[in-house]
Amino acid sequence: MERRSFLKGFGVVAACTALIPQIANAAEEAKKVVGPNEMNYDSAVAAITGGKPVTPSAKVAISAPEIAENGAVVPVKVTVESPMTNKDYVKAIHVLASKNGNVRCANIYLTPANGEAYFGTRVKLGGTQDVVAIAEMSDGTFLSAKQNVKVTIGGCG
Amino acid sequence: MKTLIKIKPKEYKVGDVVKVDFMAMHPMETGMRKNKDTGEIIPANYIDEVKFMFNDQLITKMIIWESLSVNPLMSISFKVSGAGTLKVIAKDNKGQSVESSEQITPKG
Amino acid sequence: MRNLSISAALITLALLSNANAEEKLSMSDADKAMYAEMLENNPAAMDVSEGEEMFNRLIGNAAYAQMLGVKEKDLPKYLAGFPRVVKAAGKVVTIAQTLQMVMSDRGQSVPKLESNEIVKMSAYVKSLANGQKTSIDVKSDTQMKEMMALGQEVFEQRRGGRGLSCNSCHSADVIGQRLRMQPLPDLGVNKAGGTWPAYRMTQSQMVTLDKRFQQCMENALLAKIPLGSREMVALEVYVTNKTKGNEIQIPGLKR
Repeated sequence: MERRSFLKGFGVVAACTALIPQIANAAEEAKKVVGPNEMNYDSAVAAITGGKPVTPSAKVAISAPEIAENGAVVPVKVTVESPMTNKDYVKAIHVLASKNGNVRCANIYLTPANGEAYFGTRVKLGGTQDVVAIAEMSDGTFLSAKQNVKVTIGGCG
Repeated sequence: MKTLIKIKPKEYKVGDVVKVDFMAMHPMETGMRKNKDTGEIIPANYIDEVKFMFNDQLITKMIIWESLSVNPLMSISFKVSGAGTLKVIAKDNKGQSVESSEQITPKG
Repeated sequence: MRNLSISAALITLALLSNANAEEKLSMSDADKAMYAEMLENNPAAMDVSEGEEMFNRLIGNAAYAQMLGVKEKDLPKYLAGFPRVVKAAGKVVTIAQTLQMVMSDRGQSVPKLESNEIVKMSAYVKSLANGQKTSIDVKSDTQMKEMMALGQEVFEQRRGGRGLSCNSCHSADVIGQRLRMQPLPDLGVNKAGGTWPAYRMTQSQMVTLDKRFQQCMENALLAKIPLGSREMVALEVYVTNKTKGNEIQIPGLKR
């Protein structure tokens, strides 16, 4: 009985090793391809803020899985605490994936008519990284929050 | 481009803040993927702009990038100010666009 | 010698399914809830609605029910019992195959099983049974019994260069162990049978159960059993039977 389950365990691992060389090649090939909108994190933040400081704040809540079971569909939700009145509202929510080739995911320009500063979506993540939300407030300040997402690869296809 | 608009909850009254889920059938090609058979790069093709309008007033404008997942979901809040038409206009980087709408009918 | 040390390394890996690894690799309940919530906006919902349009345009409930020999109102219950013997076919068939049959009867050109049309329409047609419980009956007659036996044989048949079978990764002994970080699923729980066709996030598309079997075979280096073949239908019978009584919810959402 012990021998039997031992052999089965071995079979399982043998199956997965068959895949490793393919994955390595795919990763190398992917490196050569540069996307059309390539932009790194610092440049993207600068483009959003025009160089103004970004303050991490508990007013911005970002939710994304700590462990994503795949990188192709990662749920992300952002809410920003705000009365959403004409005088005091969230002008924009920017969602960034810190290590994607193009870190920009979405720039959401809100109005008081939203009633609540919320944006929900799903993003593709090229690997483990931070998903960052930057909120642009009507007073011209920028607040942020981030969530680290570990992307697991693997499984059997 | 097939689309889907969902208002949650289904019943609401004037003054309520509801969630509007918008989904569009789109490949969201990053321009970095290769065709497995030919080895050629599949050109980038992604939704790059979405506008939410209520009775022709702009509620939310989105600039979207290729990092959103295939058949992307874009969900926002909306404070029901009365009855009317919620319209969503989505356009991709190749100029293909689609307009879809949903009636807003508050109860009470 | 080299082979030996590689084997040793592999064995160490194989035994990694301990508590420590579980802690590092498992999703929290909050993470799981986020994925569960995605079902509300399943990316394949639009595929199913396209399937509905195609089905209503090309076939329609009345013609389909007539070919199957059931009343229209009984379709949901009947569909929950697939794969099953359909009189007009004289054998055990899948929902996808019945769509080919009715199109052939109507003199229409018949799309392949892997075509967009059949995949999307079969998802829509199965979704008519949403809320029903999978009710496959493998003892209903000789043909079903035969297919069930053949399905088990296919499931357990070691094939390919590595001598793997479906059972190598899906037997009761290894369920829960991890294969390249992912837990090996119990095909009998988690509504597995009632949730295909499903959107596969890693493939970014909706996939049928038989196509999923082929993807599994490909990764295990086994020759792919052709869609629609007796062996493939038998495998669907065998696996669907493991999930008998599960609620049908189409489209499913899978990693």
